[in-house]
Amino acid sequence: MTAQALETRALVAGYERDLPIVRGVDLNVRAGEFVVLLGPNGAGKSTLVKAIAGLVPIHAGAVLINGEDSTFSPPHQKIRRGLAFVPQTENVFATLTIEENLRLAADILPNNVRARRIDELYAMFPDLAARPGRRAGQLSGGQRQMLAAARALIVAPSLLILDEPSAGLSPKIAAEVFARLQAINATGVTIVLVEQNVKAALAVASRAVILVEGEARHEGSAAELADDPIVAELYLGAAKAGA
Amino acid sequence: MSLQVVIDGLVAGAMIGLGAIGVTLTYSILRFANFAHGEFIAWGAYFALAVSGFLGVLAPSLATPIGPFSFGWSLPIAALGAIALTAALALLVDALLFGPLRAKGGAIIILVMASFGAALTLRNLLEFIFTSRPAYYAEGLQIALRFGGVRATPDALLCLGVAAIVVVAMRFLIAKTAIGRAMRATSENPQLAGLAGVDIRKIVRIVWILGAGLAAIAGIMVGLLVQIRPTMGLDLLLPLFAAAILGGIGSAPGALLGGLIVGLAESITVRLIGAEWRAAVAFVILVAILLLRPSGLFGRPE
Amino acid sequence: MIGALLSYGAFFMTTALIYAIVCLGLNVQWGQTGLFNVGVAGFVAIGAYVSALLTTPAAPGRFAGFDLPIAIGWLGGAVIAGLLSFLLGALTIRLRADYLAIATFGAAVVIHLCMLNLQSLTGGPFGIGFIPRPFASYAGEPLEFGFLNLALLAGVVLMLYLSLERLLRSPWGRVLRAIREDEAAALALGKNSIRFRLQAFAVGGAIMGLAGAAQAHFIGFIAPDNYQPTLTFQVWAMLIVGGSGNNRGAVLGAIVVWAVWAISGGAIAAIFPAGEQARAASLQIVLIGLALCAILLWRPRGILGEVKIVSRHLAGLSAQRAQPSFAVKDERLDGEKT
Repeated sequence: MTAQALETRALVAGYERDLPIVRGVDLNVRAGEFVVLLGPNGAGKSTLVKAIAGLVPIHAGAVLINGEDSTFSPPHQKIRRGLAFVPQTENVFATLTIEENLRLAADILPNNVRARRIDELYAMFPDLAARPGRRAGQLSGGQRQMLAAARALIVAPSLLILDEPSAGLSPKIAAEVFARLQAINATGVTIVLVEQNVKAALAVASRAVILVEGEARHEGSAAELADDPIVAELYLGAAKAGA
Repeated sequence: MSLQVVIDGLVAGAMIGLGAIGVTLTYSILRFANFAHGEFIAWGAYFALAVSGFLGVLAPSLATPIGPFSFGWSLPIAALGAIALTAALALLVDALLFGPLRAKGGAIIILVMASFGAALTLRNLLEFIFTSRPAYYAEGLQIALRFGGVRATPDALLCLGVAAIVVVAMRFLIAKTAIGRAMRATSENPQLAGLAGVDIRKIVRIVWILGAGLAAIAGIMVGLLVQIRPTMGLDLLLPLFAAAILGGIGSAPGALLGGLIVGLAESITVRLIGAEWRAAVAFVILVAILLLRPSGLFGRPE
Repeated sequence: MIGALLSYGAFFMTTALIYAIVCLGLNVQWGQTGLFNVGVAGFVAIGAYVSALLTTPAAPGRFAGFDLPIAIGWLGGAVIAGLLSFLLGALTIRLRADYLAIATFGAAVVIHLCMLNLQSLTGGPFGIGFIPRPFASYAGEPLEFGFLNLALLAGVVLMLYLSLERLLRSPWGRVLRAIREDEAAALALGKNSIRFRLQAFAVGGAIMGLAGAAQAHFIGFIAPDNYQPTLTFQVWAMLIVGGSGNNRGAVLGAIVVWAVWAISGGAIAAIFPAGEQARAASLQIVLIGLALCAILLWRPRGILGEVKIVSRHLAGLSAQRAQPSFAVKDERLDGEKT
């Protein structure tokens, strides 16, 4: 099957029209792939995925989700086309309980499957099932990420995009997050991951795209890039320039 | 302190509270203090006046008072019409003014300013159409019921009852239903709400409909118990804001409680100091709450 | 005939210039600092009443009346109005932007109430009359009297304009704009940012008080009804039409809007029968209200717009932006930096 889960065509996006952060990115993600977006700070990775999700204005180009043109669709329509997006921060509703966070997301599902999906997610994340009445604002960092992932997964998306899910987590919990992502990918969900943690990301991803200055500069299988000096150089170079 | 003061305060407070729920809802979802909210109260009262007058002409029997109340069936029917019309008015103002300003992504305060302009426009439009002469839903005077030493008109008791039912219904809607969840989520983080599948534009419409509908109910109560004037909304605006901030922005029960506190304080002031200072009470409460606890009784500090 | 026209012209311009002073005050608060004042009428009223109380002769049954020189009255009006602005600002400036708006709205309501109820101080609903007028010795010669007053007001506006322009370009003015434009700058200044904004709010309030005092002495009598929300609204329309952030725009807007107001008032007087005049006057406010909304929608920078010192006032007012998911939330501070 050659179906495209996600495609961007010459995408130009950014908060201000005259100062785009993403400058003409072509991205092709096949169904079932696990793609990681790498690049130095300020390369536009985060802005790119936010634009795809509908959170950052798009000034030119196109976004296709599962083959459907979604360039100017509001986020709630993109969700109904199979996209799920987990932002890096503020990714749960702190004033809502765990249960309410999940039910909110499940509300777009048909009546008869809602309760079942919530139970399935609780089975997947037993930590959350333990105290469903707890406000999300009281959860630890790791628990929040779990809730954010559960909230995104509840609608059984075909395409899951995550913005640095490991940020701020301890290495042990981060490893757990990556393992879970791999497991989710194994069930057929396409994953696009923005990550700073290059080694860990390349270990789980099938392919990597490297963004520099708002453009997709390099692309290759995760295995190839893991040993490529260009990766190390990019990050080191950026660290020097950005300091 | 006589019980009479408390009853009067509760009745006034219920009307303020209903209006304040609308203010707090629009504030928490749309994120700006809507100075035009008072005008929805006034327009609601006048819509009901127009519709009930029309019904009274169409079917005079509808104007005969029901039981102990001062009004006939034409008013409750007209109330439904007024709620719908006021909601339509709010949606229209949003479509013409607030919506385009939001789409531009300008500063919040531009919306506040626009609401200020809309308020003057709406209020003076009322004055142009209906003149500034006070109007009433029913002509006759109503005999107050006595309970021990306390007097209250049947109309006032009915208003209290309606307010209580409306508040319980709102509380249920916000705490237990999918719409309420979506509203709370949008209030906390609209971007994430969109990602969770919430259609923000739909929530905005619902909030306008709820806020304007509650405003219409409050307006009809004021019209029934006091009088109908084009400036009735302007006079209520400060008590509404005081009640909404006192209760904590975003909290519907807080807004009602805030309304009751403002209403009680007003009635105590009228008794102790004099009716001419009534309008200052809300300001004093506002200053006190901003000094002591700006997040309100039920609000979360930002 | 020509004499009457000229003296009407002088009267018209003098009134417009008084509005221009209020506009300049509002411009310091809103245009330069981004603080929203919905109680303009209240601050103007404070200036008018304080000055009237200071300068009128003592009268039986009234508390005040100090018979002081007019200049002292003007100064006193400005100082008290500035002080009141300072207190309101101190209460709300560190809270959400619209709490200041609500508080100023409430203050105007209470000031109006005080004017009505504190009879022994304010004369109640009938207000204060026989306020000494500048150049009173020329009162018998309407033309000279009119032009002398106009010259005085023009002098005041010019002086205010020059000092505000100077202030705007001073380090103080630059800091204000930095705070308004850039949240990072505001944060870096921390507590000082609140102090700067508070100062600006007080200065703006004082200028409004000065305008109120000038008007009271020009007309010669004051009453609570002169200080309704409509006044606030007119001044806002003037500043928005002229271009907020621009002092010349503030003056120009005052003259243009006052002209439109006077002409439309004349038209209504001519068109509607005497019995319907009060009703038709509300139509005037409706039209101006629609105009204000239209300008906010289509030409938010007004006629003159803001002078080049500022890049994107209306689009980028500090951190508090409209509903993020309609217009996308600005995350440059916590997102990726380019």
